[in-house]
Amino acid sequence: MDAAAAKRVLHTIREAMDSNRDHLIEIDSAIGDGDLGLTMTKAFAAADDGLADTDETDVGKLFSQAGMAMAKAAPSTMGTLMATGFMRGGKAVRGKAVLAPADIAAFFRAFTDGIMERGKTKPGEKTIVDVLDPVAEALAAADTTELSSLAALASRAGEQGLEAARGMMAQHGKAAIYREQTIGKPDPGATAGLLVVQGFAAVLEQL
Amino acid sequence: MMKKFINKPEAFVDEMLQGILAAHPEQLKHAAGDLRCIVRADAPVQGKVGLATGGGSGHLPLFLGYVGAGMLDGCSVGGVFQSPSAEQMLEVTKAIDSGAGVLYIYGNYGGDIMNFDMAAEMADMEDIRVESYVAGEDVASAPAGEEHKRRGVAGIFYVYKCAGAKADQGADLDEVKRIAAKAGANVRTMGVALSPVIVPEVGKPSFTIGDGEMEIGMGIHGEPGIRRGKLLTADEVVDEMMGKILPDLPYQNGDEVSVLMNGLGSTPKEELYVAYRKVAEILADRGVSVFKTYLGEFATSLEMTGFSISVLKLDDELKALLRAAAVTPFFEQAQF
Repeated sequence: MDAAAAKRVLHTIREAMDSNRDHLIEIDSAIGDGDLGLTMTKAFAAADDGLADTDETDVGKLFSQAGMAMAKAAPSTMGTLMATGFMRGGKAVRGKAVLAPADIAAFFRAFTDGIMERGKTKPGEKTIVDVLDPVAEALAAADTTELSSLAALASRAGEQGLEAARGMMAQHGKAAIYREQTIGKPDPGATAGLLVVQGFAAVLEQL
Repeated sequence: MMKKFINKPEAFVDEMLQGILAAHPEQLKHAAGDLRCIVRADAPVQGKVGLATGGGSGHLPLFLGYVGAGMLDGCSVGGVFQSPSAEQMLEVTKAIDSGAGVLYIYGNYGGDIMNFDMAAEMADMEDIRVESYVAGEDVASAPAGEEHKRRGVAGIFYVYKCAGAKADQGADLDEVKRIAAKAGANVRTMGVALSPVIVPEVGKPSFTIGDGEMEIGMGIHGEPGIRRGKLLTADEVVDEMMGKILPDLPYQNGDEVSVLMNGLGSTPKEELYVAYRKVAEILADRGVSVFKTYLGEFATSLEMTGFSISVLKLDDELKALLRAAAVTPFFEQAQF
């Protein structure tokens, strides 16, 4: 994955956030404060626009810059966490003009760890981490280096993570107030997380 | 009913900032075209470690009121009781860094922590070295042994004062952070409230306290305290508060301290002095001598009626730093 592909990843995620905007608002209104659809569309629009004209070839720097742009455009909790993910993921692969499969795994590991650290959360608490952590683990354990297989692996792990999160009880943010009532409902942050994973997967498949 | 001297509730914070900048143009300016990024008029001060703070509005003189010579270099300003954004913190950082690095000093609240951590990471990407000290000294907010959960309240004044004086001496970032942590570790605070606050954009009281009731240990956003009960006399209230503060560090026979008697917004100084009379009596009884007393409004909660007591244990190093001159829009002191 080179810089051009990294830009396509962000553009693909932006389009996914745009087309899922109302869905995110709806599921976030059910257990949160309802602004996730707005936060995510704003965050990825800023990242996509911010990278459009850069001729940066360092993929790590590109993703870090995307994170910075998100932090500025969407200073809410979820915006800050998503920004942190991209900044940390980018930092983990700084200096690389092309990401090899192992780099992509390292990116997702650092992305996930960054969000866990900043959000003071761990797997099992009905958050975006419940999608990202299985993806990071699946990529790290993959016995293939074929990009389309990795894409399928990541998507499947993310989808399973989202489904598992549905059965969990929220512990963070406004959703924590609803506690038991959140069990069985989709987690908005995890849903946005799967869109990020799918955006990566869509681009990897075409490489 | 809300009865306040305001215009539009949503303009409250920005209009307050416009007023502050209009009143103190020789001391303060804003950075990055954002009113909510307040820095010293002479920022960045060459060769000096920059000190930044930030937090929600509604607590003046906290937080921006201590931006000035001998104390802080910049402050990001949030909405009422809301954290400023990481970007605003970053802009303040950039505006005050002279190359010696920047120390963040702020209170222990979730939103502030997340955004300051984020700002520090963004500053790192711009090659500015940042360290942080998170202040939390409200003994009512968590028991001994769980100090890391304690809310930061009026005692942060001492952290600003001592760290600010140290930075003024030309100390490096690690040394300034050491002093911030030392002051923070030696201060304890407890508050009491008689009435709630009205956040302008909310328009109604944030909680209720019955006639003839008080809440001991309440936080500066109306967080629940240790107990609610019948209003006691000033002496009885101070007795109960000092009974929690003194054993916590502990402050012992022979110690030398500074006391900060802080009004929370609507308590007259007369009442603060009535209460301080009892504080002084208790300290004298315990053989604790008072090196310096500050009394007034240092950290408020809009129109809350109530006060807090902060006690800082001193040694020669902290005493020297406390003595240093400071000139800010909300706090001035000659060298003593």
